[in-house]
Amino acid sequence: MLSERLQLKLYLEPSEHFEVEALIPVFHRFIRDQLIKELLIDVVDYSHVPDGPGVVLIGHGADFYVGTLDGAYGLVYSRKRGGPGPDARLADALRRLINAARLLEQENGLKLRFKSAELSLRLTDRLHAPNDDATFAVTKAEVEALFARVYGGDVAVERLPASKEPLSLRIKASNSPSLEALLEKLGGPPDSAS
Amino acid sequence: MTVATTWKQKLAGQVREDWAREIDIFETQIELRKKGKVEEKLFAETRLRRGTYGQRYDNGQRHDGEKTQTLPYPSAELTKGPVTMWDAPGMQRIKIPYGKLTADQLDTLSELAEEYSDQILHITTRQDIQLHFIHIEDTPDLMRRLAAAGITTREACGNTVRNVTACPYAGVCSTESFDVIPYADALTFFLLGHPDTQDFGRKFKVAFSGCKDEPCGLTNFHDAGAIARTRTVNGELKRGFEYYVGGGLGAVPYPATLFDEFLPEEELFPITQAVCRVFARLGERENRARARLKFVVKKLGIEEFKRLVLEERAKLRPDERWTSFLNDLHVTDEKPLKPGSELVPGNYPPGFEAWRKTNVQPQSQKGYSTAKVTLPLGDFTPGQGRLMADLARRFTGDSMRATVEQNMLFRWVSNADLPAFYQALEQAGLGAAGADHITDVTSCPGTDTCKLGISSSRGLATELHKQLTLISDQLDPAAQGLHIKCSGCSNSCGQHHVADMGFLGVSRNMNGRRVPHFQLVIGGQYKNNAGSYGLAIGAIPSKHVPKAVKTLTDRFVAEKLDGETFQAFVARIGKKEIRKLVDQLSVIPSYEQDPSFYSDWGDPREYTIGDLGVGECAGEVVPLVQVGLAGSERELFEAQLLLDEGNSDSAAARAFSAMVLAAQALTREKNSFLGEGVDEIVSEFRAHYYDTKLFFDPFSGGKFAHYFFRAYEHRAESASKEGAHQLIEEAQLFVEAAHQCYTRIAGALP
Repeated sequence: MLSERLQLKLYLEPSEHFEVEALIPVFHRFIRDQLIKELLIDVVDYSHVPDGPGVVLIGHGADFYVGTLDGAYGLVYSRKRGGPGPDARLADALRRLINAARLLEQENGLKLRFKSAELSLRLTDRLHAPNDDATFAVTKAEVEALFARVYGGDVAVERLPASKEPLSLRIKASNSPSLEALLEKLGGPPDSAS
Repeated sequence: MTVATTWKQKLAGQVREDWAREIDIFETQIELRKKGKVEEKLFAETRLRRGTYGQRYDNGQRHDGEKTQTLPYPSAELTKGPVTMWDAPGMQRIKIPYGKLTADQLDTLSELAEEYSDQILHITTRQDIQLHFIHIEDTPDLMRRLAAAGITTREACGNTVRNVTACPYAGVCSTESFDVIPYADALTFFLLGHPDTQDFGRKFKVAFSGCKDEPCGLTNFHDAGAIARTRTVNGELKRGFEYYVGGGLGAVPYPATLFDEFLPEEELFPITQAVCRVFARLGERENRARARLKFVVKKLGIEEFKRLVLEERAKLRPDERWTSFLNDLHVTDEKPLKPGSELVPGNYPPGFEAWRKTNVQPQSQKGYSTAKVTLPLGDFTPGQGRLMADLARRFTGDSMRATVEQNMLFRWVSNADLPAFYQALEQAGLGAAGADHITDVTSCPGTDTCKLGISSSRGLATELHKQLTLISDQLDPAAQGLHIKCSGCSNSCGQHHVADMGFLGVSRNMNGRRVPHFQLVIGGQYKNNAGSYGLAIGAIPSKHVPKAVKTLTDRFVAEKLDGETFQAFVARIGKKEIRKLVDQLSVIPSYEQDPSFYSDWGDPREYTIGDLGVGECAGEVVPLVQVGLAGSERELFEAQLLLDEGNSDSAAARAFSAMVLAAQALTREKNSFLGEGVDEIVSEFRAHYYDTKLFFDPFSGGKFAHYFFRAYEHRAESASKEGAHQLIEEAQLFVEAAHQCYTRIAGALP
């Protein structure tokens, strides 16, 4: 992956009863009980912002959002700095995203279900990963290779058109493995901070 | 062609040379600090002058609701300032002179929020933009990208001239004497980096307003405030400014004092420069809490201050920049994209009429309107930033203003375009009505990100916004026009003193636990450039504040006289009536009955921290201290009533008495034989709490104790109305500090 900074999003199944504020105590608990292997710092509530990041779990190397930045609810893993080298970045991000999604699904009070086959990827580094055809070609190839390995079956990778946005891809896998199965393929829950 | 691998390479030639050099130097300072070759205090001042702040938890400690945990940052030994961890995320303040943003600048800011921050851009109460959770090592690139868009962060913080603010309607307003923008723009860059502004003991804020009566410029609480005026001299219309100095909010707010009722336009810059020189020379250096210009003006008196400024003015070497900008006052004029037009009656989009009613105002130029985008708490996403930039390009030709109410104002919208403009906003989730109305609550960052926050002002503001929005359609128009402002602590960044209902975060010990509260501040005036300041009536548990707002609003609607403002209503019914409400709401259920009262809005962690001892000592002493502190609050309230009655001397005496009672209550913790004599109380308080620094808090040091000692020294002097008002404010802060001190010594605070 050309960009150290990236945002990988897993979408939520629609739910009538879901209120994003319900994530606030859950994320605080993630920090308190160190449930995720990241240096987690704080929780920020942006639920007042329409189509915003929602509730954000701020970390040192990465943040997690549950919000509607692109119009649909989902969990975003946003790598900011550090992490593995270019060849392992995408797989590492997917692993951490799936792990966090799995933990959220296990929160009985939330009743969340993720659509494991629908993701989006944004490369939030306009210097190293400009939104152009070359970056798209490289990134698409990486996504296809990883998803073929982890998901099996086909994967459709679509580039979103907005030119001022960072390079943004919509990813749809033909298979929908469970989060547990995906995590197992990715090496299980991360055992260290990114 | 070489591919750029750094932003410095990529933006080479696109950044002003001097700005590029400054950023390079800052980047070098970062590297030197990492190698331990720059002392941490010096580095802190360096980064602050570039607007790079610390944020909450940057000391590497965070309370998780049960215990304090260490945040194991990778560069654990490295700091970016005293007790400020290198890797801790920080806030970047970005000065936006008089709030003006071009579409390209907003695109750039959006990119930066997307890449370096948490996907949110935040408009401050002084027309800046802030990005949060930024890593220090990302700041040079961030600054380069801003500089390429024509924005510098230089002097966005530190002891410098801060963002020059101005009325966002300047140039299109029907009540202004003339457009102040060319003056604000030129003064911004005249003062930026000027040698006479580099050696202050504290910050210096400048504001411009086109007229005196409206609130838009808020000149009354600025170090230097300029209100546009014209005067006919020998048959010729001359421009000038009603010029004020020494205003400021902060812990103890001071109204600005008139320096000159008509300062000719050609004297605006040299006089401001001379004011800066006097401030640099005579401003306090040691005691940060007394270092703003307001204290210099107060200490010297306006006549002596003016004499010194004029003396300094006479010494100044002439500078062509003082007047060169006057040769072309149209340089900042905006050219509308479209001709003016009339709004065509027809089938408007749903919600348009309500939005137009609250968010649209006619301009002084026929056929055009201003349109305000309501941004809850001043927050918006990068996508929304890009949308607003595109709307500017599509409808107005590049004009936007960040406002002190934390919204975005578009100017030069041709009236016929208003429905399409609204529709585009609505599709992006930005079509909310109610800008600058009761639902549009202003707030500082508070405990969300600010190191000084005591209570969650943003959490409260969010809750008030939610609850009031649900009933806004049914609210009486008089209630809809009320302003609510929240600050997380006494530093007033939320400008709570100038709201109809202001709230300022404090904490209280109740039922053996710590409970978030907000002081209700009533009587402030927003109009007339923030014409007068409110006073705190009493503390309300945070979770009861929405009920307080609802009750006060309902009563105002039910009992107001024709045309009566909220301020006049409060004055008429009296603060005793308001205090009754506060008293009713001060009671909360026990923790076992309802633990939600013991956590703050939007933050489920228990606000009460640590394990309070239940031993005999605590069991006996704690109530006595609380009784004493409650007594001091009663005295404070009585002081306010006396002030309202015009009895300044008695009000001042009561305010001092409140301080004595608080000091006595605390000091009896250490000396149970303490008597009633004031001299003894002051002496013992000094010995047990000041000399030992037990009364000091981590951020303000001993400043609140200084208020007490000064009040003691001057207790025999007669007090003016303004002096009594200030003493009440100081007593309020002293009593609050006593509450905090008590909580610390009782073991409930880390």
